[in-house]
Amino acid sequence: MSLHNSDDRWGAVSQGFHWLIVILIVVMAYLGLTMVELPNTPHKIAVYTLHKSIGISILALVVLRLGWRLYAGRPRELTGIPTWQSRIASATHIALYVLLFAMPLSGWVVNSSTGFPLHWFNLVNLPPIASKSDALHAVVRPLHEWLFWTLIVLACMHAAAAIYHHLFQRDATLARMLPRNWLRAPSTDRETSNA
Amino acid sequence: MRDLRRRVLGPLLLAALLPMASAAVAADYAQAAGSSLVFAGSYQGQVFTGRFPDFSTRLTFDPAQLATSKLDVTIPLASATTANADYDTQMRGDAFLDAGRFAQAHYVATKFRALGGNRYAADGTLTLHGVSKPVTLTFTWTPGAQPVLTGKATVKRLEFGVGGGDWADTSLIPDAIAVSAKVVLKPL
Repeated sequence: MSLHNSDDRWGAVSQGFHWLIVILIVVMAYLGLTMVELPNTPHKIAVYTLHKSIGISILALVVLRLGWRLYAGRPRELTGIPTWQSRIASATHIALYVLLFAMPLSGWVVNSSTGFPLHWFNLVNLPPIASKSDALHAVVRPLHEWLFWTLIVLACMHAAAAIYHHLFQRDATLARMLPRNWLRAPSTDRETSNA
Repeated sequence: MRDLRRRVLGPLLLAALLPMASAAVAADYAQAAGSSLVFAGSYQGQVFTGRFPDFSTRLTFDPAQLATSKLDVTIPLASATTANADYDTQMRGDAFLDAGRFAQAHYVATKFRALGGNRYAADGTLTLHGVSKPVTLTFTWTPGAQPVLTGKATVKRLEFGVGGGDWADTSLIPDAIAVSAKVVLKPL
């Protein structure tokens, strides 16, 4: 599999970013939704520290991912997709990128507003990006959660659309974001064999 | 005449000398405004500081009379604060200071050592969280109308069972808590 994106397919780097971030979001959702109920013990601190550490890592990954996306471009849009669908897809992609930045940044602000350390994987302390403030915390703490639910809704729409394209449109939308031969997508196979 | 001298001057002389005798006992002081008792530790590698706003000090001290000197400090714990509400709740709670059961800490020192210049050490006993252990306070004594004692001590929290069990993890919160005092004293 090529590292670079080709006209037909996402390359290994883009696919790696995509699926790694999917996995990390699932892990983060689990940690984030369960950690708040934990009793106040060092275990809770460890879970919070992991949540914060992965969040900061996602922020770094998203910076790299967006850089790669701008540098390496994207495969051609598939033909035969109605303009309105294509526009919704683009808007969703942009919104997902915005949320991938907004989630860790808002989390970082939440942490800063409490005055707690940000001990990245117990290795290094990152500075606060906002001042300690109960008023700020009262705003960003629910914001962080609402951004999360928005991200989940958009990601589900995005996934549902990809599955719809694969099952009902029988095009390469999903197959070209996966390693070759993981999914049969007749149109891609044909294009590839023609190339 | 000689009799009179003996009978009157003797007691007079004694009366004149008495104040000097009492001066040979160290002077008594109470805590005056401008005093502070603060502490510092770290949590996940990030320093936190706090203070005991309601501490009170009684001191009997004279650099020339260390043997009769005495320091007595009472430290209410329910008002101990780091200016972080989350930390304060945890710190005063039963996993750490347990201020509900052990409302105050108490430090008493009667052994003083001169360290040279105006520096001294007090080898006292701190009672904290139901445990009494020796703690040494080193301090600078600045004489004056209101003398000032400026001192430092290190309290090993685990010796006192402060943050035991799961909280004993010193990579999270180190054992040593630094305590600094500035006590402005008014003569009694």
